[in-house]
Amino acid sequence: MNKNQKIILIVAFSIIAAILIYWQTQGGDILTKTQVQVEKVDELFNTTYMEWEDKFVLGLDYAGAASAVTAVLSGILIFLFRNKKKEKQ
Amino acid sequence: MKNTLSIIAVLIFFSTTLFAQGFNVKASGEQTFNFADRGGRNQATFFSTTPLEDINGLTNDVKGMVTFNVNDLKTLKGKISVSVASIKTGIDLRDEHLRSPDWLNAAANPEITFTIKNVGDVKAVEDNKIEAKVTGDITINGVTKEVTSDATLTFLDESEMTKSRAPGDLLGVQAKFKVRLSEFGVKNKIVGQKVAEVVEVGVNMVGSNAN
Repeated sequence: MNKNQKIILIVAFSIIAAILIYWQTQGGDILTKTQVQVEKVDELFNTTYMEWEDKFVLGLDYAGAASAVTAVLSGILIFLFRNKKKEKQ
Repeated sequence: MKNTLSIIAVLIFFSTTLFAQGFNVKASGEQTFNFADRGGRNQATFFSTTPLEDINGLTNDVKGMVTFNVNDLKTLKGKISVSVASIKTGIDLRDEHLRSPDWLNAAANPEITFTIKNVGDVKAVEDNKIEAKVTGDITINGVTKEVTSDATLTFLDESEMTKSRAPGDLLGVQAKFKVRLSEFGVKNKIVGQKVAEVVEVGVNMVGSNAN
């Protein structure tokens, strides 16, 4: 594995790790959500109720797809760099 | 003599708290409360689980009317309805499945309704707050079954504070009950995930007796 390939591998791993860490910090949900429920207080009746709030919550579907795309692209790049090296030899 | 008075006092206390069947508020007689929601505050929720994650559904399109004698909650009658198309779970694809013929079939059965039949186990928690078991017929996916819900009703006489919400006296209702999906012809799969057979349903709404 040459220097360029190593750089691509490190960058790809870093991107995938960042995606998965972000996914976990978002709650580790399976499916991506565009709205979440937030609890509100009804002071008149002293009760709580829920409301929808627009919020993007990354799920494993999108996180997995993004990771897969990153892995495929990095694989292609690693392959291309390997070919170039072979041609020179 | 002192003991007799104490016993009378205790009896009065128990008769007005344990055996109270209605609200102890300014209003009296038969009242009709309309749950027409102007501010999007009324809501129905459901909670279910799948092997992978929990599902929380919510809609604010809840409406209906109830009529009862303020001093006797057992006279409670009325009907509450929820628009199926308005139920959201936070994921558009899942909402589409929820409205599909496999689930609630919103096209054929656009509303979920609950018609009150009787009220039991009435317990006055405070002068204006009552806990009771409300039994009624719920219609989901075109199938009607009897369910009993644990309900808490709070009556607020009209005041400067209540006027900010709506004119007239206000009735707050919080109710919870469970439904079995198979009883209503609902296939318990959604977006490929097997959903728990029993779904917890909650209602939280405020109605006014002003016309």
